[in-house]
Amino acid sequence: MQVQTHVDINSEWGIVAARQAGRKLAREIGFGSVDQARITTAISELARNIYLYANKGQIHIEELTDSGRRGIKILAIDDGPGIKDVRRVMEDGFTTSGGLGAGLPGVKRLMDDFKIDSEVNSGTKITVIKWLR
Amino acid sequence: MEDTKLTMYHLYKEMLNNYLKSKSEHTLYSAQQFSKEMLEKDMSPEEVISLHKSVIQELQQMNNEAVTDFIDSFDILLEVMIGYGLAHREHLSLRDRQRQLESELTVAARMQQSLLPSGKIELNSVDFGVISVPAGKMSGDYYHYFIDEQGHIGAAVADVIGKGVPAAMCMSMIKYAIDSLPEQRLQPAALLENLNRVVARNIDDDMFITMIYGSYDPKAHRFHYSSAGHEPCLFYCAESDTFRELKTKGLVLGVSSKVRYEEYYQDLEPGDFIVLLSDGVTECRIEDEFIDIKQITQLLRKYKHLPAQLMVDQVFSELEKIQDFKLNDDFTLLILRRNV
Amino acid sequence: MNLKVDIKEGNRETVVFLKGEVDVYTAPTLKESLYPLAEQKEKKIVVDLSNINYIDSTGLGIFIGALKATDKSNSTITICGANARVKRLFEITGLDEIIEIVSDQREEV
Repeated sequence: MQVQTHVDINSEWGIVAARQAGRKLAREIGFGSVDQARITTAISELARNIYLYANKGQIHIEELTDSGRRGIKILAIDDGPGIKDVRRVMEDGFTTSGGLGAGLPGVKRLMDDFKIDSEVNSGTKITVIKWLR
Repeated sequence: MEDTKLTMYHLYKEMLNNYLKSKSEHTLYSAQQFSKEMLEKDMSPEEVISLHKSVIQELQQMNNEAVTDFIDSFDILLEVMIGYGLAHREHLSLRDRQRQLESELTVAARMQQSLLPSGKIELNSVDFGVISVPAGKMSGDYYHYFIDEQGHIGAAVADVIGKGVPAAMCMSMIKYAIDSLPEQRLQPAALLENLNRVVARNIDDDMFITMIYGSYDPKAHRFHYSSAGHEPCLFYCAESDTFRELKTKGLVLGVSSKVRYEEYYQDLEPGDFIVLLSDGVTECRIEDEFIDIKQITQLLRKYKHLPAQLMVDQVFSELEKIQDFKLNDDFTLLILRRNV
Repeated sequence: MNLKVDIKEGNRETVVFLKGEVDVYTAPTLKESLYPLAEQKEKKIVVDLSNINYIDSTGLGIFIGALKATDKSNSTITICGANARVKRLFEITGLDEIIEIVSDQREEV
């Protein structure tokens, strides 16, 4: 039975709840403490983006198994304003982080797989995966 | 401790205390946010570690559960250092991108070099030399020379306002505009008038180009020249061993499309030479003092026994030395000397 | 090096007092204050350069841009108080033929 958690993001408390759920699952899957912190930070950033730019949305967290590999998948969905120029927000040094490494490029670096699907005026869907090594 | 550091210290201590009491995800989240703030305040990783250590030391003195707390405190430190790890990785990626930009610039600079004339002028009547060195990779200076079947020589030095890539792009416009005016290549005033029309049409309101254009007739030993707001050229008289600025009037290129340029001439005796230069030469600064034209003429005189090409090379390398090898502006120096 | 721009609106003319250096770094500052003035209709703008010791070519470009703007807005630009080095720059570039340059300086109020 695979574990799946949904967290609604509409406040800072939602962000913390998503982090908590992610950390718990990551620990159960067997990620070490550094990877737990990385996964949590990625969830945190994704959830914060939802909260800051779309006001509300969901974070889905689930365990993955693929030909013997185990991993964690995080899905961030909102129906906010969407991202006009995805290529630009994925560029280093572009985001408001001003060279501090945060933002979506940071999330991409923390995880193994990164997929983004965004449409202006209809929302954004980001899927990230980290595999257990 | 500075004020910011002190504030950071108190905030960190409070956060760590909270975490040790509650072990809550919420506090870890604050730690992640706090890490962004520390990065913004330019706190280095080692400062963070030492901050952590000093808070732990303080806690140890008041708390007998020190050992467990000590281990748990690393949760906070780890959360905080993730932010530093991200900034570090972004730095690496930006460094790669900078390398890529650098190599693109290198290619562009090579292309720009290929816009400059490359054939040698080898005549018995004239000794010719030119050097042009950009302050950065790309140059806003341009020089041009050409020689026709009768041995007439056209030569020019132009300086685009500013430097770097924008100036370099403008420079290529000058090159193609001159190429498109083959009939005027020996008529300085007419060439500048035509060139000015092209530039005025194609340039931003606050950009301009200065240019000096000359042509030398080896039979009459006469140098004709016109200037579009350019640094005056120098004339060296061998007989009296003196330098003189050749005064000109003329508006810079690109300000107004209807400008008339006046043409002047100077006759050359054997050994006399003409020096065209860009204002990078006269605006060399040594510790905020400008090099004046006297220092340039002293250098020219010092090396006047050398062939023109060696002369310009030597003058440049000395000026570079005086300026501590920091070139503030693009530098171009061209010499045309009558041999016989 | 910095550039300080002070604009004094008078009855007959608007005086722009500059202090410092006009170079590639400070040129945007000058542009921001000079262009909006130059775009206003029928203005008499006087730029006082008596506290300017150095103008580079980028700085000169700003004056050219402002001059082009005054042509469109029926305004005028006069330069006053320029030192010998700055004046030479205006002379070499031929700008002294199209911008009025006077030697006296304006009284700072």
